[in-house]
Amino acid sequence: MLGKYRIYIHKLMILALTFAAACVCSGFSSGKTNDEELDSVVDFVHELDDYVPKKERYNFYFTYKIVHPWWDAVALGMEDAQKKYLEKGIVITYEYMAPKAASEEDQRKRLAAAEHGNYDVIGVDVADAKTITPVLDKMVDSGYKVMTFSSSDAEDGCKRIAYVGNTHNYKDGADLTEELCQKLGYKGKIAILVGSPGAPCHEERAQGAKDTIAKYENMEIVAVEYDMDSIENAYDLAKQILKEHPDVDGFVCCNMSNPVGTARAVTELGSNAVIVGMDHDHEALNYLKDGVIYCLGVQDCYSIGFDTLQVAVKIADGNVPGDLFPEKTNETTTIIYQEDAPAMLEVLYGDALQ
Amino acid sequence: MKKIRITEKTFATTAVVGSILIVIMLLANTYWAYIESVSSTNQAVSAVSAFYLKSMADRRSKTITNLIENNFDYMEKAVSVIDDEKIENQEDLRAAIGRMKKLLSLNRFALVDEDNIVYTQYTTYTGGSRHPFLAQDTMSEKMMISTVYVYGSSKELCLAIPIDRYFMGKKFKACFVQIDINDIVNLLAFDDQESTNFALYSQNGGNISETDLGPLIGKQNIIEATKGTVSEEEWNAFCNDFASEKGGTLNFTVDGVVETLCYEPVKDTGWELVVMIRESVIQYHIQEISDKSLQTNRAQIIFLLVIVTLFSGILFVMFKQVAKEQLDEEKENSKVLKTMANTDSMTGVRNKHAYMEAESQLNSKIQEGTMENIALVACDINGLKYVNDTKGHAAGDQLIKEASSLICDVFKHGSVYRTGGDEFVVLLQGKGYDIRLETIEAFNKITEENIKNNSTVVSIGYSTLMPSDEQLHDVFERADQMMYERKKELKRMGAKTREFADENNENT
Repeated sequence: MLGKYRIYIHKLMILALTFAAACVCSGFSSGKTNDEELDSVVDFVHELDDYVPKKERYNFYFTYKIVHPWWDAVALGMEDAQKKYLEKGIVITYEYMAPKAASEEDQRKRLAAAEHGNYDVIGVDVADAKTITPVLDKMVDSGYKVMTFSSSDAEDGCKRIAYVGNTHNYKDGADLTEELCQKLGYKGKIAILVGSPGAPCHEERAQGAKDTIAKYENMEIVAVEYDMDSIENAYDLAKQILKEHPDVDGFVCCNMSNPVGTARAVTELGSNAVIVGMDHDHEALNYLKDGVIYCLGVQDCYSIGFDTLQVAVKIADGNVPGDLFPEKTNETTTIIYQEDAPAMLEVLYGDALQ
Repeated sequence: MKKIRITEKTFATTAVVGSILIVIMLLANTYWAYIESVSSTNQAVSAVSAFYLKSMADRRSKTITNLIENNFDYMEKAVSVIDDEKIENQEDLRAAIGRMKKLLSLNRFALVDEDNIVYTQYTTYTGGSRHPFLAQDTMSEKMMISTVYVYGSSKELCLAIPIDRYFMGKKFKACFVQIDINDIVNLLAFDDQESTNFALYSQNGGNISETDLGPLIGKQNIIEATKGTVSEEEWNAFCNDFASEKGGTLNFTVDGVVETLCYEPVKDTGWELVVMIRESVIQYHIQEISDKSLQTNRAQIIFLLVIVTLFSGILFVMFKQVAKEQLDEEKENSKVLKTMANTDSMTGVRNKHAYMEAESQLNSKIQEGTMENIALVACDINGLKYVNDTKGHAAGDQLIKEASSLICDVFKHGSVYRTGGDEFVVLLQGKGYDIRLETIEAFNKITEENIKNNSTVVSIGYSTLMPSDEQLHDVFERADQMMYERKKELKRMGAKTREFADENNENT
């Protein structure tokens, strides 16, 4: 009888040890973001909603700010939606085009060309809200179905039908800056790097950063620079800032290229400046892993792409914002830290490239 | 030379010891064969594991290489076919790409123009940042193979070739296909029993195929997962093999179970295909065969023991039986010999030798004073010589037989001995002694009657044991004296005697 209980006790001990080992292996004790949480940072599993498209074929035109990996991630979400429509027998063809360098002029030319194409919907990631908004209004007035998507919406009051993307750029900028301020103990000199002048998402984030820093009397903005969505520019600008202000304590990077260029400069010059930035660039994630970047705000690009195509189909069918889709479809941004970087690298790029 | 006499016991002992030795040798030999079989099985398992895995890894690696080569061929053919078609606008190009994609079962087939715009069946996009091989301003003349990590959705193998064609008035510089690694995994999924695991790895050990490689490694980086499970030297060699795209094998033990993995580079991809099997799995399969063999072996041992036991038992019983029969025969022979030694062959009564044995035994008793009553009757056949002389020895012998029968018939309760040619002695004990007088009287009466009938006449005299007698012969002496007296008396009655015969002979 005693021997029987002893066996039970042994089994319980083995179970307890196994559970403990499983907890340790799964990172239970770390209390930080794990793989499951990372899945919520970027939602790769999507299904089309119940909407039944009216046509069997659609043709769209999308143009975005710049050829850049961030929009490649958006493209993957679009392709996923396109495949799922195809499984339902609905053929969607589209163009997804951008210039090598961000340019509102290039965007206007592309939109003008698109007017001559046979597209059901024209989607725009607004390069410059001020100059592009009138163009979009004119197109809508001419009968074109126009929507905005991904990083930047047009100005308020624009006649575009709907927007799918980040609707909280100001908050993203503010949240990242709050993280930086907290890290620095709410005192220090800060430099802000922005992407393209006029690009709503960049400008809004920069504004969020400025307003946050203004809340703390011991914090000061020493520089605000635009890299034109170029890593090389960001690197040069960061180096310049570090030379002019060697005592700079932190950088707020408002787009995807900012943190990469800044991290390169900080590493090269041996600065201790703390970097907070946006997006999921591969190099930036490696800097995050190495501790050069303190945190990154990662947007769910995949969902932006997937939802953009769904909303485009509904717009093409003549629908307007309401029950079928909102005027602004919001997508999430998650701040990730050093301990989350390896898993994020694995999820997004595969560890072979690490 | 001294001659050793082989007795029956020696023979039996030699046979038993020899049999035991043979049985022990047989058992030892069978046990040795069993141990050897187990050891050989283990060695075979290791050898088979390595050979089996090497062959499997090699085959699978070649499968991927063939897949890559086929796709390169398909791309060349597809571009050639599209080039022959009339492509006037983007719709024509998309339709042509779609036809080729379907015809050649290509997963993702695309053409790239000189502005890095990618054309697929359904989409047209600026792909400068999306496809690594487009990062270069000028395409290499060689075919390119790269692994693409598609932002969390999947991992793909990209195969690209440079082209120099014009469609829609634009120059096209490249063509590429992307193969989902899951499709490659499905192509390689050869083991339904999940006893063999395989996975594809990049040079730094990262798992590309997302397949599990056994309980220890799982989906982890294989280089990191195997660290510490083998010696540092072996592990370094393993890492170097991965880095320099070489094949090899690695053995390690997890929880007492030997894991064998074989890795083979996949040509031009920078991948290593790793196949792993738990030796216990092969051992399990071989064990079944081995167990059957060992079971047969054990059955043979048991069968041998049963047969040997049965055979020994039968031999023992037979040996005992033969020994008993021999003993009985010897006893019988002894008895016959004894009977022959103590019996008179003519009359069937005991002979003088028997009488002497009896006399000796009785003398011992007399001397010990334990001898109870005994009477001795001395008998002598009258006229035997006469019959022999006149009628021949056959008639004489007949007379002896008739006399013996007469004595035996009358002295039923006595022991009759023929002590000479015409002499008999009867020993009376017990009842024979008690009725001696009546018996003697009856005998004498018959004798007297026989005289008248000219039949067998036997003179008898008797005496009993007297306290003063020291031996039986003393009794015999008195009985013999009395017999002679009786012979004279019978002669007077007309019976033939020796003298009568002598007289007749003289007259003749």
